[in-house]
Amino acid sequence: MKQPHARFIDNSFLQIALACYVLFWIALAIHPIDRSDWFLENLLVFVTASVLIPTYLKFQLSNLSYALILLFLAFHAIGAHYTYAKVPAGFWLMDLLHLKRNHYDRVIHFAFGFLLLYPMRELFQRSARAHETWAVWLAAATIAALSSFFEILEGIIAQVVRPDLGAAYLGTQGDIWDAQKDMTAAFLGAILTAVLLSLRQHIRH
Amino acid sequence: MSEQNKSIGALAALCAVIWVLAAIHPVDRHAWILENLLLVLFVFALSLTHRRLQLSNASYLFIALFIILHTIGAHYTYAKMPIGLWTKDFLGFSRNHADRVAHFGFGFFLAFPVRDLLLRFSGIRHGWSFWLPPAIILAISGFFEILESIVAEIVAPGKGVEWLGGQGDQWDAQNDMLSALLGSLIMMAAVLLTNGKRKAR
Repeated sequence: MKQPHARFIDNSFLQIALACYVLFWIALAIHPIDRSDWFLENLLVFVTASVLIPTYLKFQLSNLSYALILLFLAFHAIGAHYTYAKVPAGFWLMDLLHLKRNHYDRVIHFAFGFLLLYPMRELFQRSARAHETWAVWLAAATIAALSSFFEILEGIIAQVVRPDLGAAYLGTQGDIWDAQKDMTAAFLGAILTAVLLSLRQHIRH
Repeated sequence: MSEQNKSIGALAALCAVIWVLAAIHPVDRHAWILENLLLVLFVFALSLTHRRLQLSNASYLFIALFIILHTIGAHYTYAKMPIGLWTKDFLGFSRNHADRVAHFGFGFFLAFPVRDLLLRFSGIRHGWSFWLPPAIILAISGFFEILESIVAEIVAPGKGVEWLGGQGDQWDAQNDMLSALLGSLIMMAAVLLTNGKRKAR
């Protein structure tokens, strides 16, 4: 893998990508549909930023990895602005495919696996020094683990903070298998990227 | 036969004896078959890979302990396991928590062999070997919950969490995964502490 730019000041690609994301984020931070839900959803952004920014000094991912992460966060910003159950794109999809619910959240769970497998694999290969084939599997497992962890958090929030509302609270939209379907979506996204990466490898050789 | 093969053979024999005993008159034969499907696949995978991916004796011991735990659970079906029923009555729980203990045991016993596997074959650095096993345990646990929901929809469509595994707990999947994660984290903490002591000596 190509060695990324060591200094942010020399990396114009990353500067532009980050600027685009920040502008997009600010635009969507204005008058969100539900401010407290917006805040809850954005905890993910704050956590991600507080991990990626300090670690940048010691270890940089490639520009492609950062771009994929920012792209994912941009999709997430849309969900946070409208609240996931009311994203317009999800309603279009609902009408187009005659679905019973707004599936934007499931698309984002899929995108989580699809977009973040690559940066995760890069992290395992370059920082953890895992062998190439192991790195892909470890990345897929980590995606699935993070997805499960997110569902656990969602469960804890719903049980502890709003036990009266139970499954109706936030993400599930009344589906008893919501957690399982969300995890499946993330896992399939990760597997798809893993397959695409190995196909690229085959074509190159 | 090498020393290690002898001890693995002894462990396998012990597991086989307990498994055969538990296979006689299980409480619910259908549930028993279902619970044993994964176990058979797991043992099959172990026997196929054990030559190429040989683990330490301690790892095989932990794997055997988990297999024994699961074998006993499958005999009684987790929801009717006597120890779970006793603790339910004694502590006034609303459900039999034996399955949750098994999920915890899954994380606790198997995090060790997973770490061993990673350290021996994946090339990862030592520092990463403490948090990757919990991630893998959690991933497998999530995968298991997905399987469970698919089986539930096939066997008892519409009944959802009322069916077997869930025992009516709406957050059963999340709580199961949390148990497994906690089990693996405790094992990793134990490994970290004993490693530290060994270094200090």
